[in-house]
Amino acid sequence: MFRAGLSKHGKKTVTLHKTGPQVAQELVACIGCNECLLACPALDEAITIDVLNRETLSGPISTPVAHFARSCFQCGACVAPCPVGLSREAMMMWLKVRLLRTG
Amino acid sequence: MTELVAKNIDSADLVIIGNGIAGLTAAVEARRLAPDSRIVIITEQSHPTINTPALKQFAIGKLNHEQLLTYPAGTEQARFIHVINARAEEIHAQDRYITLKGGRGFGYSELLIATGSAPTGLPPTLPGRDFDGVLTLHRLYDYLDLRRRLAEVEEAVVIGGGAHAIETVMGLLYWGIRVHWLIRGDTFLPRMLDRPASEMVLDSIERAGALVYTETEALGIVGRVGMVAGVVTNQQQLLPCQLVLVCTGTTAVTSLARHCDLKMKHKQGILVDEQLRTSVPHIYAAGDVAAIKDPQTGLYAPRAQWYAAVSQGRMVASLMTSSSPTEELGVPWHATRLGNLSMLTVGNVLQWQDTTTTLADSSRSSYRRMAVIDDRLVGYLSLGPSQPDGLAIKCIIEEGLSIRDIKKSLLKGTFDARSYLSRRRTHSAQRMVTTGKLPVADGLEKRMQAIRNRSPQASRQDEQLPVTRALPGTDPLLRADIIERNTDEDLQLFANPFVTAPIELHRSRGQQDNASTDAGMRATMGANANRLAERGFAADDKRPLTPSHIIESTLLKAPRVTRTGRSPSGSLWSYSRPLPSVNVNSVETPGTPAGNDVLDTNRRGRKSQFMAPSA
Repeated sequence: MFRAGLSKHGKKTVTLHKTGPQVAQELVACIGCNECLLACPALDEAITIDVLNRETLSGPISTPVAHFARSCFQCGACVAPCPVGLSREAMMMWLKVRLLRTG
Repeated sequence: MTELVAKNIDSADLVIIGNGIAGLTAAVEARRLAPDSRIVIITEQSHPTINTPALKQFAIGKLNHEQLLTYPAGTEQARFIHVINARAEEIHAQDRYITLKGGRGFGYSELLIATGSAPTGLPPTLPGRDFDGVLTLHRLYDYLDLRRRLAEVEEAVVIGGGAHAIETVMGLLYWGIRVHWLIRGDTFLPRMLDRPASEMVLDSIERAGALVYTETEALGIVGRVGMVAGVVTNQQQLLPCQLVLVCTGTTAVTSLARHCDLKMKHKQGILVDEQLRTSVPHIYAAGDVAAIKDPQTGLYAPRAQWYAAVSQGRMVASLMTSSSPTEELGVPWHATRLGNLSMLTVGNVLQWQDTTTTLADSSRSSYRRMAVIDDRLVGYLSLGPSQPDGLAIKCIIEEGLSIRDIKKSLLKGTFDARSYLSRRRTHSAQRMVTTGKLPVADGLEKRMQAIRNRSPQASRQDEQLPVTRALPGTDPLLRADIIERNTDEDLQLFANPFVTAPIELHRSRGQQDNASTDAGMRATMGANANRLAERGFAADDKRPLTPSHIIESTLLKAPRVTRTGRSPSGSLWSYSRPLPSVNVNSVETPGTPAGNDVLDTNRRGRKSQFMAPSA
């Protein structure tokens, strides 16, 4: 399911991002069950959810997390397995934007 | 900062008892806000803070030990948070010190109690509760034990009727173990789910392969040479098993409140105010141990959820370091996975059935129920294969936003929170530019006051729905208000999060008590009863079927409106007046199929659900 672009009617666009406060709130609500990482087809690093959560919004981004964020192609496979209904893809988008900003 | 890591300190600025997620979050956050203060965690626990909700995944081998850690190893040392492994036994609040086990005193400037909860377990008189293989699941060591045993188990009994039990059942099924699940009541999670939702959950668990026994309790555990061999139930059954898992809920650890020289109020948990302060100065409580006031009902209860504990930890850190907190606790929010279904409850969806409009929808193998007062959402329950954006719905309830234009999508589960919130921001910004005024939002407390005022606290403790009173100062909407709300600015007004309208509560006719309200719910579900029955849902025929204001979703049922005619102001009138009684065809003839009604439904407009009383 590729969420960017056009819907089936060909007109409606889909908002990909969430705001900083929303992402921060979702990070607080993450229970660390790792279901999103288990479902991810792009992950080939040994990343734990606590490191990923910690580096998503602020602070330095470590090499494995940066590599993971670059390989994330926003397929949305991580969203359905989340037991608390969080949008990991929106958090990854935030991480991607931070990577672009910091170079 | 070298003095902060000195070994023999006997006092600190911030002393935190307990290194669960609330305690550690508070410590880490306090260190960020107050870089120079001395922070000490006193804990009995010999392992670092872990993601306790992930323990089920850990027990069935989906996760390894490292993935359980909440913070990377060594976080406390890196942030100069001193950890003392000891049991805190007494609080001397007058002299501001605590006594550790062995008699050592420890002084504090601000104290946080985050001792969490302990499992209720089996009754102490239950025969056989000490056999090997009877596990009460709560702590890391319980799950380590379970993880080691799983490979040898063929049959297991799970005792308990909550979300914890269901997760355990699913974990055992994942391992191919035959599971007997005993529930004391006749429904699952009766405080959070109504009967259709509960039956849907139980149905899905049965389809997943578990054997569900409702209204069944364990009378004793049978063993052989010290090992569990079976469970005897009150239904005269012997269920053979090699493992008994007890998930009968938790209780807050309030022993410190009892061992405090000043009176610290506690009941099911330590009572705290909105600022997480206990009744004793300089002492705070957070996490599972803290009984927090529900802003909607005014009742104090612990919120034993991960999200609540993390946000309380963050909040209490800013309060203890005299910074202004950035977040409010808000209304209760609980999201979890129950087998193959995702459950979300926000606010209070089962309370005030006599004054709220309840909307329910059970299409597409999912179920949603909303409690609405005027056009404000006060409670939301969702059960289905996918999880809606619960935090956005929480925000809608807390800010008291009008849901008039999103009611249908909320009910159908197609609500797109991102585009809604982004549209809302656009409208607020636009209004700010055109009016030149900054939007001012009421505090949560003020917004919830109206809802809370409607019922005396005392009568709510035993879940008796109180007699409805009209809210003070909420006269019916003036005609002028209505006309204004129907002008061209309508869309803009409703998109504005800061528009406040008086909330009005009226009692609907035919609503005598809780039972009849529930019956009304069942009545309006009537058209769907056959389909529910086909899917294995038992119909409840004992209760009288009374017409009510509870209105079924148009997908399922078209309520036949008894009177015709609508006032010019449209549905706004209906919000401010008692909702009309509706007759449901299938109530009188519960056996007839509802095909024609469904077709009829599609021809009705949205407003036909609500009807204005004739003037």
